[in-house]
Amino acid sequence: MSQIVSFVTSSIGRKLVMAITGLLMIGFLVTHMSANLLVIFDPEGYNAYSHALISNPLIYIAEFGLIALFVGHFVSGFAVTLRNRRARPIAYGENNGAGHTSRKTLASTSMIISGLVMLVFVPLHILSFKFGTWYEAAGDPHVRDLHRLVMEEFQSPLFVMWYLGALTFLAAHAWHGFGSAFESMGVSHRTWIRGSGQALTAILWVGFCAVPVYVYFIAGGGS
Amino acid sequence: MSENQSYTIRVWRQDDAQAAGKFVDYDVKDVSPDASFLEMLDLVNEDLTRDGGEPIAFDYDCREGICGSCGCVIDGVAHGPLPGTTTCQLYMRNFPPGATITVEPWRASAFPVIKDLVVDRSSMDRIIMAGGYISVSAGSAPDANNIPVPKPEADLAFEAAECIGCGACVAACKNASASLFTGAKIEHLARLPQGQAERARRAQRMVETAEAEGFGACSNEGECEAVCPKEIPTRVIQRMNRDYIRAYLKMI
Ligand code: HEM
Ligand code: FES
Repeated sequence: MSQIVSFVTSSIGRKLVMAITGLLMIGFLVTHMSANLLVIFDPEGYNAYSHALISNPLIYIAEFGLIALFVGHFVSGFAVTLRNRRARPIAYGENNGAGHTSRKTLASTSMIISGLVMLVFVPLHILSFKFGTWYEAAGDPHVRDLHRLVMEEFQSPLFVMWYLGALTFLAAHAWHGFGSAFESMGVSHRTWIRGSGQALTAILWVGFCAVPVYVYFIAGGGS
Repeated sequence: MSENQSYTIRVWRQDDAQAAGKFVDYDVKDVSPDASFLEMLDLVNEDLTRDGGEPIAFDYDCREGICGSCGCVIDGVAHGPLPGTTTCQLYMRNFPPGATITVEPWRASAFPVIKDLVVDRSSMDRIIMAGGYISVSAGSAPDANNIPVPKPEADLAFEAAECIGCGACVAACKNASASLFTGAKIEHLARLPQGQAERARRAQRMVETAEAEGFGACSNEGECEAVCPKEIPTRVIQRMNRDYIRAYLKMI
């Protein structure tokens, strides 16, 4: 037991926790983004999908799992970041990237900032949608018309902008995070792993942004 | 033959670990393009000494890129702008004539400043002392190829063994992490038969000593590899992570 504690609180242990939880969250985001596209292509299918999820009692286990991933990830993230800051108490007068083989990017240096944006965004997002207005579907009063809520929420230009902004931070986080996670788990750095992570991130960003953009500019008509 | 040039250097001056340091500007004239960066500092110090000032303290020994004593952050990059070089092997022809060059020490809480550009790197020695050796006495050097090691493995061991312990990886890392150094010191033994018996324990002890010394964690940015004068790849960090994780898995 004490060995488990000393492992999970070691720097490599914490990074392993972040890597596993982070990759699982990215995996969740792939399913989440794909299902969201139903908003555009099949409104009834979207409601049916969300009904299938929330009417299955296993959803509570899944929700608990997602919360555990999220909390485990950011608790480790804060601990790692604090220790890293303490390791360099005095900043350089001039600090430049070394270039050459370095993989440092704006995304990699701002992980704690993009992470903090997620810490604010995710709870608000759940409040807006999961705990947003419950409309009954026209056909069946037991089915939630989540599609209508989505169409309404994204009528506000500010709300749309906030989503596009937050999604960009999320993409920046995963841009570095995906490849970094494999290295934290001990998989040797390979350009193709980094590259696939960045391609996946680009797909996630486009797919997630598509819904607010579609609702606001195409479907909504600014009603 | 290009002509001698003048430079302005902004150097970090600090009396000791407790003192607050500051940047001070010095003009240096008539610098040969073939002078090394340290020879340029020698010129500044000659002027300073002549004028009764305190010379800039900086570390060096071999001045041929093999001992790992020298090193400062030059224009925001550890060991300066050229990849794969130590500060002593950096030549003034690499700087545009008349340039203002910023020079500061490695900055890390595990590397307290002794004076000016000299930092105390004994924290890295303590990482080695925690397990970076084979603990049985193996006698004098055996005949070559007494223990057969496949050539590719020997090359990988050697690549890691090239580490000269200069500390540039720590200086370049935004987290002041010693992962590249520690990884290299683990890897050169982990690749060889002699290193196997103590492999798990070694990774565990060295990593935990690095932490206790106050070095940060790895964020996988690879700035360390890019400034390393020996261009040691971050692969050694990923292998260290694996050995460390495995050491704990073995205990379960
Ligand atoms: C949807 C949410 C999130 C996803 C998908 C995600 C994903 C990831 C992944 C895969 C990594 C790489 C782990 C590694 O380098 O081994 C990572 C790193 C990181 N995450 Fe997250 N993360 C999320 C939310 C957060 C939150 C809420 C925080 C909290 C502040 C956070 C803070 C960090 C930090 C600071 C790092 C960098 C650690 C380092 O490089 O040393 N993340 N994230
Ligand atoms: S003085 Fe020996 S490596 Fe530079």
